[in-house]
Amino acid sequence: MASLRDIRKHITSVKSIKQITYAMKMVAAARIKKAQNSMLLARPFAIKMNEAIAMLKNEMKESDFKKSSFYDLFENEYTSENIGLILITSDKGLCGSFNVNLIKKTLSFIRENSDKRIHIITIGKKGRDFLRRVRMPHVYFYYEMFGIFPKASYVHAEIISQQLIKMYRGKKLSKVHIIFNEFKSMISQNMVEKVFLPLESAFESKFQDENLQSDFYFEPSKEKLLEGLIERDIKSQLYRFLLESQAAELSARMTAMENASKNAGDLINDLTLKMNKTRQAIITTELNEIVSGAGALEE
Amino acid sequence: MKKINMTVLTPDRPLLSNVEVDSIVIPAFEGEMGILPDHAPIVVQLKEGILKYTVSGVNEFLSVFWGFAYVKNNEVVILTEMSELMKEINEERARQEFQKAKDAITMKGADMDMDTAQASLKKALVRMKLVEIRNKSKV
Repeated sequence: MASLRDIRKHITSVKSIKQITYAMKMVAAARIKKAQNSMLLARPFAIKMNEAIAMLKNEMKESDFKKSSFYDLFENEYTSENIGLILITSDKGLCGSFNVNLIKKTLSFIRENSDKRIHIITIGKKGRDFLRRVRMPHVYFYYEMFGIFPKASYVHAEIISQQLIKMYRGKKLSKVHIIFNEFKSMISQNMVEKVFLPLESAFESKFQDENLQSDFYFEPSKEKLLEGLIERDIKSQLYRFLLESQAAELSARMTAMENASKNAGDLINDLTLKMNKTRQAIITTELNEIVSGAGALEE
Repeated sequence: MKKINMTVLTPDRPLLSNVEVDSIVIPAFEGEMGILPDHAPIVVQLKEGILKYTVSGVNEFLSVFWGFAYVKNNEVVILTEMSELMKEINEERARQEFQKAKDAITMKGADMDMDTAQASLKKALVRMKLVEIRNKSKV
């Protein structure tokens, strides 16, 4: 049986662990409000952006659209074996199954596409470290970014999207997938894996007839405007993914830390009980010894 | 009198939403452009500059760094990557940024990115101009 001192030591260490996990939970809870807020604030911009793109695309003739410099972002003829992957994980651990799920998904993605060359952009330390460790011959690192959470800003999205477009065009990728966690609610995250590029025809809309006049003036030309807008749209989508992942990470950490604090509390209760039992046992043995000692003297 | 509904959005936050204004002057790519009620529908690209708008006779200013504006049915939507209200600009910081950008350009380090330096110089200039306007209006 463990001695009284050992149990006391154990209790103190569990107590300090509980303090840490509790503090981490509170920090995550405070930050999550901010993260949710910035998600809400980013929404109107993205919505209007999509509207503007749909409108501009409406105004364009299909033949012009196919000739434009950004057509490759929508559809491409690259049938090469190069594909891309963006993986958004967290920088730090202690957030439950947040990263584990992402990494599992990434692994199965890599296995499925073992006949292709995969170019990877990682955001967050955990994903990068993991992929570094596994080292697959058909996996190439293109760009990595870390240390941005929990203060992801539009500037980060800008840098990532520049790298992404460079990678997409430079390596002639046939498609780019993205894997990240979406914020669903305070207690649950939703893992998402989808094709990011070529852009879905989310703005599926009709093209202008070849000889119809539109009522809009454009300055500069429609093609130029749309080119700029589409690049910005990629940025704003990436920005949204970053914010989603950020909020999801915080909520995952909050739940994980809450559970940890609760478990630590249970453990402390058990240990205290054990300690008291041991103490009583010691007292009883001592009493026993004294009584039997006294009895021996009387005889 | 007819009014225009103006909305200014940035990726981080909506700066102004549905503000009723009398007139707007936007820094379009090929020069400044005035917009009054019943303007023809138009889509323009913006460059960095100062956006002036009038709310019931009072001039207000915004800084705009790259973006788009579209005008339709007396509604103006401005999508910009970065924008600040006049009162949000920190004079001291704007001046420092200006100095830093200028130094960077004059030093011309081998690994310097000329585009970035130019862009930050332009940004700083816009901010400085806004500070100037603000100081004048205070006196």
